[in-house]
Amino acid sequence: MNALLLTRAHARIALLDLFRSPGYMVPTVAFPALFYALFDLQYARTQASVADATTLAFVAFAVTGVCLYQFGVGIAAERGRPWERYLRTLPAAVTVRFGARIATALVFAVLAAGCVAGFSRVTTPIDLNALQWVRVSLCVLAGGVPFVLIGMTIGYWVSARAAVPVATAINLLLAYAGGLWMPPHFLPAFVQHVSPYLPTRQLADLLWSVWTGAAASHALAGLAIYTAVFGAIAAIGYRRDERKRYA
Amino acid sequence: MLSLKDVRKSYGATRALDGMSLQVDSGEIVAVLGPNGAGKTTAIEIAIGLRAPDAGEVRLFDRSPRSPQTRLRLGVTPQESGFPDALSVEEIVRFGASHYPHPADAADVMKAFGLEALSQRRAGTLSGGESRRLAVALAFAGNPDLVVLDEPTTGLDVESRRRLWDVVRDYAAGHSVLFTTHYLEEAQALATRVVVVDAGRVLFDGSTGDMRRRFGVRRVSYVGREGQVAITIDDTDEYVRTLVRDGVAFSNLEIVPPTLEEAFLTVTGGRK
Repeated sequence: MNALLLTRAHARIALLDLFRSPGYMVPTVAFPALFYALFDLQYARTQASVADATTLAFVAFAVTGVCLYQFGVGIAAERGRPWERYLRTLPAAVTVRFGARIATALVFAVLAAGCVAGFSRVTTPIDLNALQWVRVSLCVLAGGVPFVLIGMTIGYWVSARAAVPVATAINLLLAYAGGLWMPPHFLPAFVQHVSPYLPTRQLADLLWSVWTGAAASHALAGLAIYTAVFGAIAAIGYRRDERKRYA
Repeated sequence: MLSLKDVRKSYGATRALDGMSLQVDSGEIVAVLGPNGAGKTTAIEIAIGLRAPDAGEVRLFDRSPRSPQTRLRLGVTPQESGFPDALSVEEIVRFGASHYPHPADAADVMKAFGLEALSQRRAGTLSGGESRRLAVALAFAGNPDLVVLDEPTTGLDVESRRRLWDVVRDYAAGHSVLFTTHYLEEAQALATRVVVVDAGRVLFDGSTGDMRRRFGVRRVSYVGREGQVAITIDDTDEYVRTLVRDGVAFSNLEIVPPTLEEAFLTVTGGRK
């Protein structure tokens, strides 16, 4: 059977299941915009430059959250479930299941980020143009990869029970220390020293470079290193889990 | 269609399969019977490519069972069933069927397995029996050549179990079926051939009738001069001839044929 059609079928049922689960759907999509309203809207309401910077930071927060939960919590919860076992008996390659998971995460990332951008558009004087949004989208696609792999690392190395608290802790800590909730220079001094080395800060720097036109080579290099490191750890975790369950 | 030859598999120090051989030919319904821990599920998982054997040869349609291409002709019900809660029965059946080149009509499958009235129900609201019926229906939804059912009726009450047997029996026509079960009755009701396994080896491979004939014992009971007599014996004919020859007075003579359960216990040395 056609792998693309099968990937679409797998993504469709995953999306149907998640869209019908308000407990997943609402927090995932609305949480970043809600956080934006609570923490940054008061500063962004009157100044376009603040609105641009904070909106991009919360777009990054929306994307990292979806990646960490979809791949971290999703994989940890599903890898031992009977449904996952049934899927393995179907005539579909493993790439179909991974492709569907990536497509599902992409849909939710777009919705969550879109919610932030839409909310900002309505409530602030944000002035990013269409071309800048296209470049932001491309940066998010590339910059989201290490977060997918960090999520997969959680998914394959952490138990289903521990995955939610672990993913939440990592997401919130990285968001805070990476300067996604407040400008990095507002962070405590010791956090400011660490911040540039964190993937969330590097993703934010990448997105801010679209707005400021500054060079983003440092951010890209950092994200590439995280991609390599967590790609390797996730791959080892995947093989370990496969050996344990299906060798 | 499916063959396992001298397959060995260990989990650490525990040997699950110890040279197991098993074959399923076209049109057969084969039951794999065995006590808990006999190696039934491991054999099934290796046969369908979920696990790799340590040694031995496994062929499914003359190919490796690990290839997705091979599984185009295979439908499976795993031992445990579970579905995404928010999906409807119909969505799940259609999803399963969409993986196969010549699937059965989803409406026909749901009707056959008594799921028609439940088609719009969400999987999370199904009872255990309904959920199991859906799991078995999924194995047939792709209209595959071989259907493998791992303990299809475990956890069901007697009535639901019998209803599912009827459905599987009717629907199995034209398919080959391999299933594992704890229930001897189930093997008797569905199988054309029984394979009894224990400690990872095949102890018996033949028809249910063969099994009863070879391993079954019969009971003879009658009322004699000193009251009710009941004995278990291999050759009941000879025993009755001896009673007549010796002039033993008896009434209410009853000869109970061997049950599959007795034969099974004989084969497995009393383990159930």
